[in-house]
Amino acid sequence: MPDDVPVSPEPSGSPQALGGAWQGPTYYGRSQLKPAPFEKWAVGGYIFLAGLSGAAAMISALLDAGQGGPAARPVRRGRYLSLLAPTIGAALLISDLHTPKRFYNMLRIAKPTSPMSIGTWILMGFSSFAGLSAIGQFLSDRVPGLRWLRGAARVAQVPAALAGAGLSTYTASLLSATSTPLWAAAPEALAVRFGSSSIAAGASALSLGEPSRRLRRKLDAVTVAALAAELGAIMASQRSYERKGVADALDGSWGRVEDWGANRLGVIAPLAVHGLSLLASGRDRPLPKALSSAASLAVLAGSLLLRVSILGAGAESAARPDISFRFAQPGNLPEREG
Amino acid sequence: MDMHPRVLDEPRSEFDRMIRNESELTANVLIEPGKSYGFFTDTTVCIGCKACEVACKEWNNLPADNLGLTGNSYDNTGALSANTWRHVAFIEKSGGDGGVRDVEQPPFQSGWLMMSDVCKHCHHAPCLEACPTGALFKTEFDTVVVQQDICNGCGYCVPACPFGVVDINTLDGKAHKCTLCYDRLKGGLEPACAKSCPTDSIQFGELQDLQQRAQARVEALHEVGVENAYLYGVPGAPGATGGLGHLNAFFLLTDRPETYNLPAAPTRASNRVGSSMLSGLAAVAALALGALALFSTRD
Repeated sequence: MPDDVPVSPEPSGSPQALGGAWQGPTYYGRSQLKPAPFEKWAVGGYIFLAGLSGAAAMISALLDAGQGGPAARPVRRGRYLSLLAPTIGAALLISDLHTPKRFYNMLRIAKPTSPMSIGTWILMGFSSFAGLSAIGQFLSDRVPGLRWLRGAARVAQVPAALAGAGLSTYTASLLSATSTPLWAAAPEALAVRFGSSSIAAGASALSLGEPSRRLRRKLDAVTVAALAAELGAIMASQRSYERKGVADALDGSWGRVEDWGANRLGVIAPLAVHGLSLLASGRDRPLPKALSSAASLAVLAGSLLLRVSILGAGAESAARPDISFRFAQPGNLPEREG
Repeated sequence: MDMHPRVLDEPRSEFDRMIRNESELTANVLIEPGKSYGFFTDTTVCIGCKACEVACKEWNNLPADNLGLTGNSYDNTGALSANTWRHVAFIEKSGGDGGVRDVEQPPFQSGWLMMSDVCKHCHHAPCLEACPTGALFKTEFDTVVVQQDICNGCGYCVPACPFGVVDINTLDGKAHKCTLCYDRLKGGLEPACAKSCPTDSIQFGELQDLQQRAQARVEALHEVGVENAYLYGVPGAPGATGGLGHLNAFFLLTDRPETYNLPAAPTRASNRVGSSMLSGLAAVAALALGALALFSTRD
């Protein structure tokens, strides 16, 4: 290719200044990309349940390791909560296939370039070990002769927790490894958002209805740390969106769901409530339990709305040629050509 | 393009048999497994006849998408889809300002731009890399094809494609796109669109040969004054960016890529897997370590 051939000739439209809106031509305003044919609430619901289950498995294993017997109640609930992804979550995924009866074709291969294939195997591994852990818990609780199974549950919870870390984050890679501008513009920040939102949701679900004020405080502290990490990732992703010219994708109705539902209701409000609660609990009159529960419910709702709104706003970004053309400018290419 | 000597052996226009290696006669290329084939679409000679669209639909038994009018020049097809694997784009460039028609036009296509769009059969195809079932695969002709008996319609190839090509047909629940006439290649036949193209705007051949031919065409166009002619999808050019490698179906364009609804600098989606997986896992691991430290204290 000789050097004198223009990389992007400019006979029509003005040159594209990086950072601004799209100045160049579009083809009758038609989409340049095709939006993902995902049902937003089914796939968003799965991503939420996968994050919640993965985090529940992780946190219950950590509680078991750190606290042991006194934390038996939340550990048990965590093991049962982690069954959400293998059951309802998997059903949602299969229902979203356009040929559901061939779901097992996902198991033909393992492909490291496809987060959907990686995720299939993470979900398989997680389901096996989380299932063993939950069954061990259930039988050792109910059948007097099978109390030794509690040990098996403790062993199985370790690989379940490791797979749970993958399960709560791979879904962000799945979205980022596409050409949809909003998802591709901030791969790292989106993964931190999904991961920390999962941890916050898992800790909040275990804190909900936990009678021990001591354990509830510990779980709420984990929620606060995760929400703080998520807040940082929200700001980092916003900077990436603006730098790469895809921020307009969040101007629509899904963007408002993301802003008000996922960020304000799901992160900022519970961060404030839990923060106050933790500060106040040093004194004699801690904030009431109802407030902690309300914050936990807000975290769970926000975690679901985050996934659904990112799916929705991503589809909008793919459908708008001004955003996809702006994103696919040479200035947004990675430094090194692969 | 030179003619193959075998053309002289077949003077008739009707046949009672298949011609062995017919592609030698129609495209002067022998189709052999293990070699790399593709399309060179030279938009400067496209006349917008849509013979490629029709030939594709006929050969592949594809139904119509839209029986109405779009109002977008002569483009009533609109876009590539599950049922439309060639799409002719029409861009009217003159007479648009104040109702005054241009009386002087640059050479080649004058005020019209027309381009027959198609699946690019990327070297590192994002649809193929995304496919979790292995339904999408690289054929022995270095083309990218969806195996219909394996696809389960997960739809992940659709957003993976940087060109908006792959599409799900909601009637059969499978992903569909141009196969570069895989079945015809196996039978020694030139793909239907290229064979039907009356101006050789669509040329089928071995990729290296096509790239050389295209480069020569660009130089010839530059010589006669079409200085904005350039290739899209050859190594180092627009379209072949971001780790995609070259495109097996590439184009000669005379306006910026977006004019034809093509991205200037598309990227290989799978290059984003590693960094996002690692940063997500790092964040979760850090939070888990913090939680363990917190849970290990007895207050």
